[in-house]
Amino acid sequence: MSPLAGSTLRRQTAAAHFARVSAWPLVAAGACLIVTAPLAAQFPTRPPAPMPLQPAQFPPFAETVLANGMRVLVVSNAKQPVLSLTLAVPGGSFYDAAGRAGTAEMMAGLLTKGAGARTAEQISATIEGVGGSLGASAGPDFLTVSAAVLSNDRRLAFELLADAALRPTFPATEIELLRKQTLTSLALAKSQPASIAGEAFAKGLYGDHPYGRTADEASVAAITRDDLAAFHGQRMRPNQALLVIAGAIDTLEARQLAEETFGAWGGVAAGAPVTRAAPQRARTEIILVHRAGSVQSNIIVGNTTWMATDTRGYALTLANQIVGGASDSRLFQILREQKGWTYGAYSSVARRKGLGSFSATAEVRTEVTDSSLVEMLAQLRRAGSTPFPADEFERQKQTLVGRFPLQVETADAVAAQVANARLLGLATDYVQTYRQRLAAVTAEQAQAAARMGMRVDGALVVVVGDATKILDRLRAIAPVTMVDVDGKPMTVEDLAPKVVALALDRARITAGSDSFAVLVQGQNFGYQVSSLERDGDGWVYKERSQLATVIQQSTEVRFGADLAMRSAAQTGKFQGADLRLNVRYADGKATGEGVTPGAGGMQPVNFTGVDVPPGTIDDNAIQGLLPFFQWAPGVTVNVSILSSGKGVVRVNTYQVTGEETITIPLGTVETYRVSFTGGDAPGTYWIEKAAAHRVMKFGPVGQPVEFARVR
Amino acid sequence: MHSRGSLLIALVMTAVPALGAQAPGRVQVESFTLPNGLRVHLVEDHSAQVVAVNVWYDVGSRNERAGRTGFAHLFEHMMFQGSANVKKAEHGQFIERAGGQLNGSTQPDRTNYYNEVPSNRLNLALWLEADRMRSLAVNAENLKNQQEAVKEERRLRFDNAPYTAAFVDSLPTLFDRASCFAYAHSIIGSMDDLNAATVTDVKAFFDLYYAPNNAVLVIVGDFQPAQARRMVTEYFGGIARGATPPAVTCAPQGATGREVVRRIPDRNANLPAILTAYRAVPPSHADYPALELLSTIIGGGESSRLNRTLVRDAKVAVAAQSLFNPFGPMRGAGIFGALVIANQGVDVDTLRARFAREMTTVAQGITPDELTKAKNSWRSSTIFGRQTAIATSEAVHYAAMYLGSPDAINSDAARYEAVTLADLRRVAATYLRPDNSLTLVIVPEAK
Repeated sequence: MSPLAGSTLRRQTAAAHFARVSAWPLVAAGACLIVTAPLAAQFPTRPPAPMPLQPAQFPPFAETVLANGMRVLVVSNAKQPVLSLTLAVPGGSFYDAAGRAGTAEMMAGLLTKGAGARTAEQISATIEGVGGSLGASAGPDFLTVSAAVLSNDRRLAFELLADAALRPTFPATEIELLRKQTLTSLALAKSQPASIAGEAFAKGLYGDHPYGRTADEASVAAITRDDLAAFHGQRMRPNQALLVIAGAIDTLEARQLAEETFGAWGGVAAGAPVTRAAPQRARTEIILVHRAGSVQSNIIVGNTTWMATDTRGYALTLANQIVGGASDSRLFQILREQKGWTYGAYSSVARRKGLGSFSATAEVRTEVTDSSLVEMLAQLRRAGSTPFPADEFERQKQTLVGRFPLQVETADAVAAQVANARLLGLATDYVQTYRQRLAAVTAEQAQAAARMGMRVDGALVVVVGDATKILDRLRAIAPVTMVDVDGKPMTVEDLAPKVVALALDRARITAGSDSFAVLVQGQNFGYQVSSLERDGDGWVYKERSQLATVIQQSTEVRFGADLAMRSAAQTGKFQGADLRLNVRYADGKATGEGVTPGAGGMQPVNFTGVDVPPGTIDDNAIQGLLPFFQWAPGVTVNVSILSSGKGVVRVNTYQVTGEETITIPLGTVETYRVSFTGGDAPGTYWIEKAAAHRVMKFGPVGQPVEFARVR
Repeated sequence: MHSRGSLLIALVMTAVPALGAQAPGRVQVESFTLPNGLRVHLVEDHSAQVVAVNVWYDVGSRNERAGRTGFAHLFEHMMFQGSANVKKAEHGQFIERAGGQLNGSTQPDRTNYYNEVPSNRLNLALWLEADRMRSLAVNAENLKNQQEAVKEERRLRFDNAPYTAAFVDSLPTLFDRASCFAYAHSIIGSMDDLNAATVTDVKAFFDLYYAPNNAVLVIVGDFQPAQARRMVTEYFGGIARGATPPAVTCAPQGATGREVVRRIPDRNANLPAILTAYRAVPPSHADYPALELLSTIIGGGESSRLNRTLVRDAKVAVAAQSLFNPFGPMRGAGIFGALVIANQGVDVDTLRARFAREMTTVAQGITPDELTKAKNSWRSSTIFGRQTAIATSEAVHYAAMYLGSPDAINSDAARYEAVTLADLRRVAATYLRPDNSLTLVIVPEAK
């Protein structure tokens, strides 16, 4: 609408205004006449231009080096009586030993879980008691420990920080607790396409260089207390450490406290590991991670860039902002706003102490995977080859330059920026001059940086999606290497629905019934009852479950004595909405229709004539058949499964990963712990060792839900 | 994972001494009023190159009348729909492209609109706020749009979440509809009332409440006061004064002589919950700091009273927390509340009796350490919350509106530091009485 149309409310001005204020004291009315009479008519109709940019006024900081080599940086800022401490050492995952990826991260997590004379609880009660915070984390290059308190509690902050960094106790119970949490998040990451893509990209980009290494189940399981202590002994040393003290403290006292707490700290950090170079790419190649049944594709396009100290970084930051740094950048505007292909599309520059990287990402619908990739590559090429229009360039520069002051507003934030610059080995005035240097970048420099830093002709592309739907179209763009979600190579033949010999003892199949309680954090939230019954010449597996008021459903799957599926039917309610599923199996094909809960609400199901290889089991029936496999230590069972809510055949893997004695309402039982992967989300089953191999307990990984046998 | 015993030992061993309490850094406020009635408070602070521009309109749900509830919040949405020189959604774009951030929110007593920008864009933020104060764009299409947006907000945030709808709709019934309608209805309002809103209503609301004489502008950060004054005068000076809005009436809401208990079915809840609320006092009242600290001791965090007694020890509840003025502070009233969610299999009436006993006896057993810890936590969150220009601008507004003067930002902390154990016992005895309470028993609705 026109802003001048009658629909715009305009305040009465002029005569009416003055008439009303005339009753005011003379002085106010006078001021009013003087001030508003000429200006009221002059309200600018365009936004005012930016005022001059003042040179950055960074709080002064002072740097000293203790006798043991530790650098101490004091950023004095007395605006509020707060103090933040950040201790950083080169002790990130770059330094993890081969086969022990995850050590740095685990060690960081344990620093606040028992240190000096305090237990984990005492540490958290102490810091919370004064309203402060304490934490530690490990990134690719560095490990940092930080504390924030009111400045009166500065001694306590130094004491807790030094205890955590120098005197961690690594209690066995805390190690196991953290290991369990780490394994859980690793398992969950494998079910999340964005995580799968990120990991494949890091591996592909950096190869055998440590930046390409990521923690996995085996490496995390292998880390011992000795590994953690050794890592701590080698990396947590003063000679490469940096302590940043920011806030209301004078430089002299800060140095004294640093000297008192860290002066006696000795030793020299072990040398950096010898690393292999990251692979060079002479042409663009695609790694396709096959995720059967995926309805979307996660795309990452990128390349390694240069070292943190490279001065082209400013120009690349700007080029990146134009290409994909924000929601009004090109990738988002084109892929999402114009084409509607994606939920989001962005790009970013990762700065490392060593070789950094550039990447552009998008999560798109499966059917537009190739179009999206072509468009992303075209946009990267355009950035390097076509001059940036002046208005677009200036607008994005303004956003970046303008944002910086908001990023260094607090003592904490200043400390983080200064520490980061120091650790990456940047020029000593890097933070003070960042904004001016960014402002000085020309469109030509940004374009040159795009040409060198976004290497369209030597890029690595990672796509995580359903290869059966996208492989051919991706091949038309660049050579494709196909792998599964664990990174194992795959061939086109592997994509065909697999005939997996069913390692199941048909003779042992017997009728019976099971009953499980659904427990959420130990509390009863529902039940599941199931039975396997004779059905003419075959079998019927029936299951009824109710999970609180969220879901209730009953399922019946019929199959022959040869285990050939015949039908599956499901009815019920999910959050009040009806759910329904009907699948017919005939002549090696499956046809299904219905409505089932999925991401973002109820989803219609409709598939016809999906090829079902012999030996395929309906996913609703597999639980009833698990007792009839030959379970033993080390056994891995692959089962071809029809995911009946999607009409997709895929291979599920059930692997015995341990033996456990568990206690459930039924009693205490010896079980095999069986990890399940290949479905929508990973899970765990506990199957009794005794010959009946009944399922005693099961549940999804990373969620507080368990199904425990009650009879 | 951790045994109860070791946790108690940890608590005992880490008793915190109360040494010379720290106060937030002093804030120097410079104030002036434009001839059109716009009050302006400036806080100059060159420690970072940012400026917060924060406008509070003295209007909130308390100004709504029966049949037009939800209006103040609907209006907050309308303020992002464009004005004479700014297109729909452009306000956000201008600020974000300058590297800044912005938002708005509605409470019972005020509606705020804040922008944080690099200091060389102070002029932009002032121009944008002035443009919508002088010439908001309202048409049938905008209005319809935002009516739908608010209804969607209610569906998403309240109607699909356990306990929330009961909490939002029923907690205001703590106050008497006849003598204090202002606080006896919800901020989100009735959907029927929202549907009934017309363009004429919106225009009348804007004319009455979004006039400069009903607004306060606070600017905090890196600017020269003389220059800021010139810009404020240039952009806001020409906006006409409006009529004086009618006074809000709310008779003192004290003990009624009876305890009110209401049972509310909730189709989203799986476990019963009990919310007890007491009529309390406005921020300017002498008892306010003691009540706020008591609220922290009772239900603020893992080691709070209700968490220790009902959740950890007795295991009759899965969660407990206090709710101190959960909708925002009010100049004419106060809410002191606590919520417990029953453990599986625990009878809701048994829990209610247990909870009620806890609330009436809690103040007797509070230790000096608990009070110290509550003060430490109040102090540190106040001080850490003063580090940014935005947070400081909110604190200046709070002092001006609820404590009567922007300078009260510097004296408020002393009121909290002065609270004693005796004060806690006294306010508990005065306010945490059954005949001053409303209890909502929220029960899962059978499906």
